[in-house]
Amino acid sequence: MSKIICSAAIRGAHKIVETAEAKYQEALEKWGPDQDIGFPNTAYYLPIIYGISGIAVKKLGDVEQVLERCRSLLPDMVSEDVWLPYLAPALEAGMATLFAEEIIEAIRYLETPDFYTKTEDPSNGNLWLGAADDVILRKRGVEFVDGTAPGFAAILGAPPTEEIAVQLARELQEKNLYVFMCADHEGRTMSEMLVEAGIQVGWGTRLVSFGPEYTATIFAMGFATRAAMSFGGVKPGDFRGILFYNKDRIFAFAMPLGTVTDEWYANAAGAINWGFPTIADTPIPEVLPTGICTYEHVVSNVPYDELVARAIEVRGLKVTVAKVPIPVSYGPAFEGERVRKDDLYLECGGGKTQAVEWATTRGMDEVEDGKIELFGPDVDDVGEGAKLPLAIVAEFAGRKMQEDFEPILERQIHHFVNYAQGLMHIGQRDIAWIRMAKAAAGKGLKLKHIGDILHAKFHQDFGAIFDKVQVKIYTEEDKVREMLEKARGVYRHRDARIEGMTDETTETFYSCTLCQSFAPNHVCIISPERTGLCGAYNWMDCKASYEINPTGPNQPVEKGDTIDPKLGQWKGCNDFLYKASRQALDHYNFYSIVHDPMTTCGCCECIAAILPICNGVMTVDRDCRGMTPCGMKFTTLAGTIGGGASVPGFLGHSKYNITQKKWLLGDGGIKRLVWMPKHLKEEIADRLKKQAEEIGIPDLPDMIADETIGTSEEEILPFLEEKGHPALSMDPLLE
Amino acid sequence: MAFEIPKISYNGAIKEIPLGKEASRMIVGGETCYPFYLFEGDMPRPPKIAMEVYDAPPDDWPQAALEPFADVLQDPAAWAQKCVASYGAEMIALQLASTDPNTQDTPAEQAVEVTKKVAAAIEVPLIVWGSANLEKDTQVLKMIAEECAGENLILGPVEEGSYKALGAASLAYQHTIGASTPIDVNLAKQLNILLGNLGVPDERILVDPTVGSLGYGLEYCYSVMERDRMAALTQEDERLQFPIVCNLAKEVWKIKESKISEEEAPLLGDPSKRGVLLEAMTALLLLLAGADILIMRHPDAVQLIRGFVNELIAN
Repeated sequence: MSKIICSAAIRGAHKIVETAEAKYQEALEKWGPDQDIGFPNTAYYLPIIYGISGIAVKKLGDVEQVLERCRSLLPDMVSEDVWLPYLAPALEAGMATLFAEEIIEAIRYLETPDFYTKTEDPSNGNLWLGAADDVILRKRGVEFVDGTAPGFAAILGAPPTEEIAVQLARELQEKNLYVFMCADHEGRTMSEMLVEAGIQVGWGTRLVSFGPEYTATIFAMGFATRAAMSFGGVKPGDFRGILFYNKDRIFAFAMPLGTVTDEWYANAAGAINWGFPTIADTPIPEVLPTGICTYEHVVSNVPYDELVARAIEVRGLKVTVAKVPIPVSYGPAFEGERVRKDDLYLECGGGKTQAVEWATTRGMDEVEDGKIELFGPDVDDVGEGAKLPLAIVAEFAGRKMQEDFEPILERQIHHFVNYAQGLMHIGQRDIAWIRMAKAAAGKGLKLKHIGDILHAKFHQDFGAIFDKVQVKIYTEEDKVREMLEKARGVYRHRDARIEGMTDETTETFYSCTLCQSFAPNHVCIISPERTGLCGAYNWMDCKASYEINPTGPNQPVEKGDTIDPKLGQWKGCNDFLYKASRQALDHYNFYSIVHDPMTTCGCCECIAAILPICNGVMTVDRDCRGMTPCGMKFTTLAGTIGGGASVPGFLGHSKYNITQKKWLLGDGGIKRLVWMPKHLKEEIADRLKKQAEEIGIPDLPDMIADETIGTSEEEILPFLEEKGHPALSMDPLLE
Repeated sequence: MAFEIPKISYNGAIKEIPLGKEASRMIVGGETCYPFYLFEGDMPRPPKIAMEVYDAPPDDWPQAALEPFADVLQDPAAWAQKCVASYGAEMIALQLASTDPNTQDTPAEQAVEVTKKVAAAIEVPLIVWGSANLEKDTQVLKMIAEECAGENLILGPVEEGSYKALGAASLAYQHTIGASTPIDVNLAKQLNILLGNLGVPDERILVDPTVGSLGYGLEYCYSVMERDRMAALTQEDERLQFPIVCNLAKEVWKIKESKISEEEAPLLGDPSKRGVLLEAMTALLLLLAGADILIMRHPDAVQLIRGFVNELIAN
């Protein structure tokens, strides 16, 4: 931590504790140790002291032990020529500061009972509200818990002009934050500025004028401390619980406006204990490494027009968008709606023009949340039936944002755009296709609205993994081309990345128990080389899903010790399976169809079955309605093996999995594949060819029979013999 | 070799939830085995029966259901007292049916008044259940939470759309939550997770899995509750280890078979017994599926179930 800040904070703390001691002695002489002391109408005594130390200050005499605590917390002044780690002493100085200030304010209630109004709003010409009583705490605290108010800004001092004061207050109000105000800068306070500008202050408008002096910061900190005890069930004295509750749940920050004195530094150091960072308008030293606070501790010299945005970013406050702001209806009900040729107003992609979608990550300072830009013509610049090229680029920034999330976020564009009435979306990546209906265009829907949709929905559904998103939409040919090239480079990079991963080098697999609602004993465990059998979840998707929803159906599974490398069995996976299958299964193999194969819920894209006469396996996909050489159609097979049973000889898997290296590797791998439907073979032709070359049998695809050769083992065997299919000369599949 | 009955190895337990006011504390939950599988584990507290009281005189009940309460229908407080004193109700469930915007749409203030009166009239724990209209329930139950601070009411239904507002209110004013989801294990779990994330302590959560009447989809509810208990007891699914409350009476007594007269349906038997038996049968099945609290209506059905529970526990 900055030495300048620490020495200032520690100096300030010494001064404040000395003041508190003097006040205490004075009060003691006047009233004696048995005098009642405290804030009005609260069961939390002096809340910071009570919450952090557990000491219930009821009588003036009780203050003595608190002051002792302050003295023991107070570190020595920082020496000019010794450099030490200062964070811990500064935090302790900050804590001593807040204790001392609470004593000072409590004595003020004794000395000047009418200094504060003790009400929700200013009354009888008195602007200063003082400590919130327990009724206000409950009523307002509920808003902190249910999220209608995410936190508060504790403002010390005042900005240079009334206009800026009003602007800041408005901006903070728009973010639903409470504004807790205290202290003056050059004799002016923010509260007075607002009143002079005709703005109503008080709890009702969330602009709370706590007090004119810097010691009134403790009303804000006391409120936060009581919230932890009242709503978090934290017991008095459990300082760790109180500080963590605030760090994790109350999105508060300190905003000193004006000259930062030693005393202000001391208060800021105190607030850091609660995880509340400081965002200042003046050029004070910054404390950027993270540690106590979620992100930075002290950020300074921020221009007024960026102050609120920066504060929100530093505190890690999430933006919420309640409604998608577009002129047509919006919801999942419209997802399946088609826009047919006769209804068509505008079309992008679909073979007529180029359309491309790309989600990417940018730096925090490169993204302005909610900024939507359109480059090129929009709906009203073109006539009915027009076709435009289109590039949608969503640029994300966030502390938790990872490159791995990009494809997952990008894939959502399909759903999100489809939810709009009169918009149809098909495909993804560089084969996206969007159609807008006449009716939607008539209601004023523009291409630019796609940006609004994406901004709102990304925040609603994926706010956990990013902080800011801006959307750029291009409809000019050359710009679209440019984006297309960039996006294609990224697609190649992504594909190579997941394809380069192996099960051996990956320690954590992911479970998927999404289907337990209807197949209660089924547990998928997804590894890089065994993608989900439904085809919808690969390892990367599961990882992201876990990050987005840590208590959801995709949980990390440490694969643990290897039990069988050939068949693919690991101890960690078995342990997880035993518990998650409700003790129905205690092990299965990832790479075998013969020996205890992995189960299927029933959602599998394909089902493989062994063909004993051919000494090989066949696989059939869901779209194949005809008979297969194993004597069962897909539906019969699904009915037989679905529901979470491990059935030797049968295996549910995804289409993509067929060409992954580990597919059936324990039984000989893809060399065993003797039959598959023709359309499936065509669908995966490129990758099948590649895989065949890799195992040294480049003409394997031609050796695999399909329904045109036959739909029984007897019919296909001569074909296999004629082609010299490798399965025929392999070890017997059944031993 | 002697035959040994295979036993399920349980690794979870249902959480114990304290209900009601401090002075008359009642605890539900604590099971370490499937319902009444006393040969495999413990069921330290037999399931409890809460009897229904309505905030306004009902206008669609068959005679059989009205009869026992004819003298108290106008006065929810007296009704509640009668259930406790005459029929031995272990809890009371105040149904705020009249707040429903589709019926009488009585204001939240009125619901608060009724709740206060009923709460003052009884010592046993009080369940306060809204009309299952999300917006209105949020408004009504929030106000009740605030006005009846410290009563430790059981407030429901708390749904995904209202859990933040009602969860926060129950934290601030110390009530217990009836977390309600539409017949789905995953949704039930999700809501419990959300409540936990909000900071609602475990001992303030009951689960309402949503139930139907016998003959009207009860099988499905049964399976979901069964799954709920399997996950809780054998799968260490910590977010499902909560006692289950079944709001069944209003479902049973609204079906055609409990209302239709003997003239219209002579084959269905004596209408004065028919509804009672339908209610008792429904309750019995829900008990076997894992209910900890049954919200019931007719004293005769209550008595049948109580006898049944005693027998199962005794053996």
